Amino acid sequence: MTDRQGQIQDTARGWLESGEVKYVVGFEQGRRAGTKVAFVRRPEDADKLVWNSMCVNNLTLFLVEEMQTRPGRGEELDTTPIGIVVKPCDSKTIVELMKENIVARERVKIIGVTCEGVCDTKKVDGSEKQPPAVTDENIAGKCLVCTHHNPLIADVVCGEAVPETITDDYSDVAELEAMTPQERWEYWERQLERCVRCYGCREACPLCYCEECVFDREKPYRWNEKSVQLPENTFYHLVRAMHLAGRCVDCGECERVCPVDIPIRKINRYLEWKAKERYDVEAGVDPEDDSMFGTCDTADPEDFIW
Amino acid sequence: MADDAKNDFEPKILGFLCNWCSYTGADLAGTSRLQYPSNIRIIKVMCSGRVNPQFILKAFQEGADGVLVSGCHPGDCHYIKGNYHARRKLTLLHDLMDHMGIDPGRFQLSWVSASEGHKFAEVVTKFTEQVRELGPQTKMAGGGGQ
Repeated sequence: MTDRQGQIQDTARGWLESGEVKYVVGFEQGRRAGTKVAFVRRPEDADKLVWNSMCVNNLTLFLVEEMQTRPGRGEELDTTPIGIVVKPCDSKTIVELMKENIVARERVKIIGVTCEGVCDTKKVDGSEKQPPAVTDENIAGKCLVCTHHNPLIADVVCGEAVPETITDDYSDVAELEAMTPQERWEYWERQLERCVRCYGCREACPLCYCEECVFDREKPYRWNEKSVQLPENTFYHLVRAMHLAGRCVDCGECERVCPVDIPIRKINRYLEWKAKERYDVEAGVDPEDDSMFGTCDTADPEDFIW
Repeated sequence: MADDAKNDFEPKILGFLCNWCSYTGADLAGTSRLQYPSNIRIIKVMCSGRVNPQFILKAFQEGADGVLVSGCHPGDCHYIKGNYHARRKLTLLHDLMDHMGIDPGRFQLSWVSASEGHKFAEVVTKFTEQVRELGPQTKMAGGGGQ
């Protein structure tokens, strides 16, 4: 772990000294065991970057913010790249963002870190002072089904390559499929009626980057009422899932930030599974791939159509 | 008693028909004086590819018991590929509804060409019966500020 941390610091320091990057987005030690986001602008500050089992956040959110920043009146757009520290799952997000022409490759310098899994922040005791080791009890759900332990896209890779041992069979989602439709609805009803529509899942999602979200729109038509009731919540989650279909890279941020622990990843993973099964689409693997809904195939299955 | 209630239930069905094939097909069904259930309320769209999954979910939220989307047969789209795009999007929506336990039988996609008045009448009859069997839609209804 510390080995990776040293490499991250050295790379960041080097880039900042040579002026190749404006700043580096990484993790720094937060209060107690957790980490927080660090924006390192000076080479001497590179020492505060850390790497440990609590580096859970997907920092590409800040990359999207940088890409969407418009220059002020009379100013030129500063296209100096920014540096970013990414886990392999976050690197998939960058691939997906490149595919959607949100991120230009030349405007980002990527410090990819190989990863054996991180902790689920909700399973770590808040009073702990040191980042705990990753164990079977506290590992994040996304890491249990992770098939990419090495960054897919990076300028510098920190850490030794991790062998891939997991094949994702979507058994956690298939579990739900074994229930009857009524049981499935009762399950989702229990989950969705808790939603307080804080829109945290949307805010934390690096792929929910629309400048005006459909759920914020009032004119010409208000799609969803603000009230926190089951029909509105169901509408919100179904529409969000459809917007992420074939794009979601399962970084798990939505579920991490959810204050009422709705298993949002399950919905997204279900569509990820179906996208793979039906259309052979896998998000975040190759920036040259076409988007799922942007293309079509005359041979697509049509088993429910009359 | 329960059977009576089911038979008395008149489902509200919303139809999104494409301008070039299915809407004309529905028109043909009308001019040919074919009988089909009057439960369907039709909204004309320029292409089945225009139908956003949001439209369908919104219809359920506003109290529709069933939603029918109909477009040109594959290969016949006026806009070349619109119905292929619709097929991808709506197949996944259908899967998702199934996964969430929101009766996928309430949502149907069909291909009806401008000359298939008979097929349109058949599709509407069959779909109305299917939705009638499922009964009133209560899982998503009651939203939209009602």
